[in-house]
Amino acid sequence: MHHVTSETFDENAKVALADTQLRGALRNATSLFGQRRLAAAKGLTNWEDLRTQARAIKDEVLLHLDKYLEQFVRNAESRGAQFHWARDAAEANAIICDLARKRGARTIVKSKSMTTEETHLNVALEGAGIQVVETDLGEYIIQLAEETPSHIIVPAIHKTKRQIAELFTQELGIPPTDDVAKLTSTARATLRDRFAAADIGISGVNFGIAETGTILILENEGNIRLTTSLPRVHIAVMGIEKVLPQFADLDIFLKLLPRSGTGQRLTTYQSFITGTKMDPNAEGPEELHVVMLDNGRSRMLAHPVTRQSLACIRCGACLNACPVYQQIGGHAYGSVYPGPIGAVITPQLMGLEKTQQLPYASSLCGACREVCPVKIDIPRLLLHLRSEITENASPEVAQVKSRTGERLAFKVWRSTMTRRWLYELSAKLGRMTQGLLLKDGNVRRLGGFAKLVPPLIAWTSGRDLRPIEQRSFREQWRKELAQKKN
Amino acid sequence: MESGSNSNAARESIFQSIRSHLAASAALDVRENQIKHAPDAPLRPSQAVASEQDSASLVDLFKENLESVDGHCVVVGSELELVRALTDVIAQLQRTSLRARKIAISDSPEVERLVKQIGIDVDEIAVAPSATDVFGFDVGISRAQAAIAETGTLLLNSLRERHRLVSLVPPVHIAIIDASEIVGTLGEALAGLRQDEQVSPIVTLVTGPSRTADIELTLAIGVHGPQELYVIVNARR
Repeated sequence: MHHVTSETFDENAKVALADTQLRGALRNATSLFGQRRLAAAKGLTNWEDLRTQARAIKDEVLLHLDKYLEQFVRNAESRGAQFHWARDAAEANAIICDLARKRGARTIVKSKSMTTEETHLNVALEGAGIQVVETDLGEYIIQLAEETPSHIIVPAIHKTKRQIAELFTQELGIPPTDDVAKLTSTARATLRDRFAAADIGISGVNFGIAETGTILILENEGNIRLTTSLPRVHIAVMGIEKVLPQFADLDIFLKLLPRSGTGQRLTTYQSFITGTKMDPNAEGPEELHVVMLDNGRSRMLAHPVTRQSLACIRCGACLNACPVYQQIGGHAYGSVYPGPIGAVITPQLMGLEKTQQLPYASSLCGACREVCPVKIDIPRLLLHLRSEITENASPEVAQVKSRTGERLAFKVWRSTMTRRWLYELSAKLGRMTQGLLLKDGNVRRLGGFAKLVPPLIAWTSGRDLRPIEQRSFREQWRKELAQKKN
Repeated sequence: MESGSNSNAARESIFQSIRSHLAASAALDVRENQIKHAPDAPLRPSQAVASEQDSASLVDLFKENLESVDGHCVVVGSELELVRALTDVIAQLQRTSLRARKIAISDSPEVERLVKQIGIDVDEIAVAPSATDVFGFDVGISRAQAAIAETGTLLLNSLRERHRLVSLVPPVHIAIIDASEIVGTLGEALAGLRQDEQVSPIVTLVTGPSRTADIELTLAIGVHGPQELYVIVNARR
C-alpha cells in the first residue's frame, strides 16, 4: 500500500477526491451518523447542559491532572491493578512487549484502541515475534488487508462489502459472498479460536474513575468483553487524560459519548473493571496491567487553548460533521487521528515540522465545534496552531512553506481595508483591469499578478473568483438617493 | 512489580511534566477565565433521585426499550409462569439453527432451581463452565442484578454470581430479573453500584444483543457476543 503521511496532505486529498467509491461511502456514512447523532441529542431535553457540565468536569480534571491521576492509580492499585508509565510510544510498546515476553505469550487478542494505533503497538509486537490479532470486526478487516483505520468509530468505512468478501475469500478461504451476515459470522467463527487460545488481551480505556480506580470500556460487538474476560492477563492502554473524578460523572459522559458517536442511547456493552478479581475462583483474568501513556499529552496542558485537546472523548462526531472529512476521508490526513480533531491533535503529538498542512485542512466553518460533546473550540485551536506556524516557525518549518508572500498580502490587505480612499481606488483599478483575467465571466487567469501573491493562485486553481461588480454599492446607493430626491 | 526502575523514572518525569506545564499556563488561565463565560449549568447534576414511576410502568418501559434494540422480553407473574416461559423460549430455539441442546447456567441458586423444572429435553446442563468449556454451549442462562428502564439495559454484577462467561460466549443469553430490580435511569443504576462498600471487580451493562455495522454500515446482529438476548421479567403478583 502507498504510504501516506501528513506532509503530503494536499496530494493525499487530491487522490481521495478522485476516488468516487470512497466519496460515496463517506457521503453515506457521515450523513447517516450526522442524522443519528442529531436525533439522539434531541431525545434528551438537557443536551446543552450536559455538554457544558461535561466540559466543566474535563476542565477541572485537566487543571488538577496530577491530583486525579494519583487518586486513580492509588485506588486501582489497592484493588490489585499494576501500573506502568510510558513517556512516549516506544516506552509503551517496550513495556507491553516485556510483559508479553516474560509470560511466554504467543498469541495476543486486541480490541479496538486508538491509543495503541497511536503507538503502532502491533508493529512492535510482531517485531518481538508475538502474534497479535485485532478482534473488532472493522479492525480485523483492516489488519487482514494490511491497511490503517480511516474513521475513529468505523475503521473500515472506506471498504465495500465486495472488497471485504474478496479479502475473506483470499485470506480465510470462504466461498465468494456479498452477504454481510455471512461475512460477520465468518469473522466470529475465525476469531473464536483466537480468543480461546490467547495468552493476553489488550484493550484501550474510555474513562478511568479516580474515586474508585475503575476503568470503563464501551463497545457494541462483545469483543472487548471477550478480550478482557478470557485470557489470563489483561493489559489496558490508557492516555493520561482519560481520568474522571467521580463515578457519578459517568451519568453525563455515558449519555454524551454513544449519542455523539453512533446515535445510540447506550452502546451494547459497558465494562466496568475495578482491579483484579477478589475471589481466585471467580471468572476473568488474574492480572490487570494499566499502561499510562503521555506521548506529548502533558505538553498540551501548558496553554488553555491547547489544553482543550485533552478533553476529547474520541466520539468521532467532528469527523462526520466536517465538510473536509466528508470529501476526503481519514487516510488523506496521513495520521492516526483524522478529521478536525486529528488536525489539531496530530501536530501537537508529533510536532509541527511534519504535520503543518493539517491545521490548514479546514474551512473554519465551525461545524466541529457545534457537534463536539465536550465543546472543544476546534476552529480556535486550528487558528492557534496556524499562528504558531507563521509566528514561531522554526527554520525547518519555515523552509517547508514560505509564508512571506502570504504575510505581505495580508499587510497590503489591512492597509487597503483601513483606508477608504485606498479601498475605492483599488476597487476602481481592479474593475478596469479585470477584463484581462476574465474567462467565461469569472476571474480565472491570475497569471503574473498571482505570482506576486502565492495564496491567490492556490485559491483560484480550485475555484473561480467572481469579478468585481461594475458599480460599487456606494455608487448604487448614491444613485438611489438621487432618484428618490427627484 | 515489573519494569520497576525505568517505570518509576518515567512516572516521575510524567508527573513533573504535568506540573510544570500546568504552572506555565497559570497566567494565561487567569486571562482566559476573564473572557470565558461562566458555565450556566452546575458542574454536576443533582443526585439521581428514584423514579416516581411505579413498577408496572417501569417494566413496560424496559420492555419497549429492550425490544427497540432487538432484544426479546417476556413478562410473567409467578415462578410457575417463569418456568413455562423459559421452557417456551428453549423449545422455540430448538426449532432453529441455534439448537439449544447444551445449556450453560450461572451459579445462581435461583437459576439452578428454575432450570431443573423446565419441561423439555436438553443434552446437557452445566453450571458456570470454564473458559475452555464454555465455547461448546448453545445457551447461557443467568440472573441480572438490576435493569434500566430508560435504555432497556441489564446490569450484570459478576461479584454476585458467576455469569461473566455464560452471558457472553454462547450464541443465546437468557437473563432472569425481578420487576422490583428495574430502576428508571442510568443515574440510579450508577448510584446503586456506588452503594456497595467496594465497587465490584467487574460490572457489565448489556443493552440488547451484540451488534456491528462495520461492513458498509449494514447492521449485523451477533458478532462476538450473543446474537439473541431474552429477558424474562418476573412481576410477582
